[in-house]
Amino acid sequence: MLDRLSLRIRVFLFFAALGLGVVVAISMGFGLGYRRLAAPEALSGFVQAWVVAGFVALLLVAWVWFLFDANVAKPIDILSGALRARAHSDVTSDMDVAIARYLGDLAPAATAAARRLTETRSALAESVMRETQRLSQEKARLETLLSDVPVGVLLVSGDHTLAFYNTQAVDLMAGGVAPGLDRRLFDYLRDGPVRHAHDRLIATGDPDAATDLLCTTTTGARVLAARMRLTPGGQGAAPGYVLTLRDVTADLSAHARREALLTEVFDRMRRPAANLSTLMAVVPPGEALPEAMERALRQELGALSQAVTELAGRHDEGRIEGGGLTQTRALDLADGLKARLEAEGVALQSTAAEVLLRANGFEIISLLDGLALHLRREIGAEDLSLRIDEEDSSAMIRLCWAGAPLGIGALERWLEEPLDRLVPEVSCRSVLASHATEIWPEPVAGGRQSLCLPIRQARRATARPKPVIRSVVYDFDLLSRARTDKVAETPLEALTYVVFDTETTGLLPQQGDEIVQIAAVRIVNGRRVDGEVFDTQVNPRRSIPLSSTEVHGITEAMVADAPEVDEVLRRFHKFAEGAVLIAHNAPFDMQFLRRREAELGLAFDHPVLDTVLLSAVIYGQHETHSLDALTHRLGITIPEADRHTAIGDTVATADAFLKLMPMLKGRELTTFGAVLTEVRKHGRLLKDLN
Amino acid sequence: MADTKRKHRVLVVEDEDNIALALDFLMTREGYDHSRVANGAEALPRIRDLHPDLVLLDVMLPGASGYEICQGVRLDPDLADVKILMMTARGSAIEKRKGLAIGADGFITKPFELKELREEVRRLLDTGA
Repeated sequence: MLDRLSLRIRVFLFFAALGLGVVVAISMGFGLGYRRLAAPEALSGFVQAWVVAGFVALLLVAWVWFLFDANVAKPIDILSGALRARAHSDVTSDMDVAIARYLGDLAPAATAAARRLTETRSALAESVMRETQRLSQEKARLETLLSDVPVGVLLVSGDHTLAFYNTQAVDLMAGGVAPGLDRRLFDYLRDGPVRHAHDRLIATGDPDAATDLLCTTTTGARVLAARMRLTPGGQGAAPGYVLTLRDVTADLSAHARREALLTEVFDRMRRPAANLSTLMAVVPPGEALPEAMERALRQELGALSQAVTELAGRHDEGRIEGGGLTQTRALDLADGLKARLEAEGVALQSTAAEVLLRANGFEIISLLDGLALHLRREIGAEDLSLRIDEEDSSAMIRLCWAGAPLGIGALERWLEEPLDRLVPEVSCRSVLASHATEIWPEPVAGGRQSLCLPIRQARRATARPKPVIRSVVYDFDLLSRARTDKVAETPLEALTYVVFDTETTGLLPQQGDEIVQIAAVRIVNGRRVDGEVFDTQVNPRRSIPLSSTEVHGITEAMVADAPEVDEVLRRFHKFAEGAVLIAHNAPFDMQFLRRREAELGLAFDHPVLDTVLLSAVIYGQHETHSLDALTHRLGITIPEADRHTAIGDTVATADAFLKLMPMLKGRELTTFGAVLTEVRKHGRLLKDLN
Repeated sequence: MADTKRKHRVLVVEDEDNIALALDFLMTREGYDHSRVANGAEALPRIRDLHPDLVLLDVMLPGASGYEICQGVRLDPDLADVKILMMTARGSAIEKRKGLAIGADGFITKPFELKELREEVRRLLDTGA
C-alpha cells in the first residue's frame, strides 16, 4: 500500500513515525523514572522536563526531515519526472543539475543518460528519415515507370479484387464504369479465362511461372492479350497476381482482314483459272474456237483480270491500314530530318503544312536523309529545302535543291541501298513498298529540282490532344486484408465508402424536384482515392428555379446535353456497388435515390452513414452540425469556388468523415455495428436509414 | 484513220514475249509500222536511231526501268516529238502520277482492254500529227 504513495510522502511518514517513536521513548523513560522515585511532588518537574525533551526531539526530527525532503526526496522526484519526460516524449533540453547537488553523482549521471538518449533518438530519427526519403523516391520512380509503360498493369488479390492499376489499364478496361480499388476484376473482364489461368498457375506450384491468356472486356468490345504472374505472400488464402494487358483487338481484326482477303484472292482466281484451262483443254490445238467457247474464254479472262486488279488495290489499301504506320506530324517529320542533316553538316530549309501523315516517321526521315546526302555528294545539290503540302486526303513531300536534275537510273541505284548500314535487309525501296508509294524527280519553279514522295493518307492536324495524365492507383494492404461478410462486424477502416452529394432543383422530391448534379468519391482502406471520382450533371427534364441556381450555380442550359437521371443513377449504383454510402444529411439525398428504385429495377440498399449523426455522436446534440460548422471544427477548408458544388461538398464530407473515424475509434466505436448502435441514440435528430 | 502519207512508226519496249506478241498483232492490224525492243538498256539507242512517233514503254524492264528510259527521252531535245505511252501491271494512282511527272504522255494498266489501248494509241498519234 505504501508503494503507491509518492516518495516525498513516504519520507515524510517515515520521519513522522520517527518523531512519534522518539516522543514515545522519552515518555516511557520519564514515566519509568517518576514511578521509581515515587515522589508525587516531583511530577511537575518531570512533566516540564518531558515537554522540553519531547519538543527538542521533535524539532530535531522535523529539521532533519526538512533537509532530507528539500535536498533528497524533492530532487529525486524532479529528476525522475525529467527522466520520464525524456523517455516518453521528445523533450531534448538539458536537465537542471543544480537542484540535485546533494545527491552526489546521481544528477550528472542522469543527465548523461538523458543526453545519450537524445542523441540516440535523433540519430535514429535521422536515419529513419533518410530511409523514408529514399523509399519514397524509389516509390515515385516506380510509380512513374508503371504509369508510363505502354501496357495496362493490374495487381489483383487472390479473391480477384483490384489493389493496383495504371491509367492504361483504365483505358483498356473502361466500359460503363471506371476501374476502382477494391472492386472486383470481373466487373471489367470476363471471368472464365482469368479464373482458369489463375487456377492453372496455382496448380503448377511454381512461384515464378507466368501464363499468357486472351480475355475479353465484359462489354465484349475489346480483346486483350494478358500475362498473369502470381505475387508472393498470402498465407493460406489464394495468392494474388499481376496481370499485364495489351489491346490486340486491332491486331486481331487486321489479321482477320488479311486472312479474309487471302481467302478471297484464292477463291476469285481459282475459278476463272480452272474454267480457262478446262475451256482450252477441250479444244484440240490448232483447231479454231467455236464462237460460244471463245465468248466464254473472254468472259473468264475478263473476270480474272478484274479480280486481280481489284484485289491488288485492296491489298495496297490494307497495307497502309496495318503495318506499323502511325499518325506522324508533318512538322515533326521536317524537324527530324533537319536535325539529322544538321548533324551531318547540311543545312535544310523546311516548310510543313499542319497535317498528320500516316507514315513511319523514322523510315521516312532515314530515307530522305540518305537521299539528301547522295544528292549532295553525287550531283552537288545546293541549298536543300523540304516542303510538305496537303493534297486532298493525301500529302506530298518534296525535297528540293538547286543544281543539276537527277537521273532516275541513279535514284534507282540509291533506292536499292539499305536504309541503315546495320540493317541490310531493309532497303530504301522496301520503305516505299510499305508506304505503298513511289518517289520521282521533278523540276519545280525557280529552276530548282525536287524529289517527290507522296504519302497516301494524311489529314489536317487538329490541336495536339491534351496529354493524358498518366498515374497509378494502388493500396497494397488490400492484398492481405481479411474479409468478413458481415458489415456490422467489420472494422470501420476496412470498409469501402462512397461519399456523395447531390444538387437538386429544390427540396421536395415528392413534389417533383429532381437531381441536377451528383458527385461521389471513394474511400478505400481508410484513404480517399484521388483518381476515383464520380461527378456528373444531370438533365432533370424540368425547369430549374432561379432560387436553386443561386445556390449551386447550375442553369438549364448547362444540363441541356447532360444524361438523364435514370442513366446517371444506374451508373452511380455501379460506382457505389459494395460500399457504405455516406452523405451529410443522408435522408435528403437518399430520398432522391430511393424513389427511383422501382423504375430502375435497382435497390439503393447500401448501409448508410450520416456525417450529421456522426458529428452528434462526437460533439453532442447541442452543437450545430451543418457541413460548414463541422468542417470548421475539424479544420477542413472548402475553397469558396467549390462550396455548394456537388464535388466540393463531397470532398469536404469525405475528409470530415476521415477525421471523425479515429475519434469514433477513440470512443471504442471500432466496428460499423458499434457506430450504428451509437448513432441510433441520436435518432431524434435525424431518421436512421439502415 | 491511218495516215496516207506515211505510216506512223511505233516502237514497243516490252520484255514479256506474250505481251509483245499481242501488241505486234494489234499494231499490224492497225496498220502501224512497228518494231520491238526486249531490253531496257537497248531502248534509248533504238529510239534515237528510229525516232518513232510513239513508244509503248513497259515499266519493269531488264537493263533500265521504263521510267529511266522515259526520262532519257525527255532530256533529249531531238526527241521532243516522240510520244510515250507507259504500261504497267501494277497501276496505282501514284505510279501513274510518277509516269506523267517524268514525261509520259499516257499511262495504261495491264491487263488492258483492246479498245482502251487502241483509243489511247490513236489519241496520242493524232495529237502528234
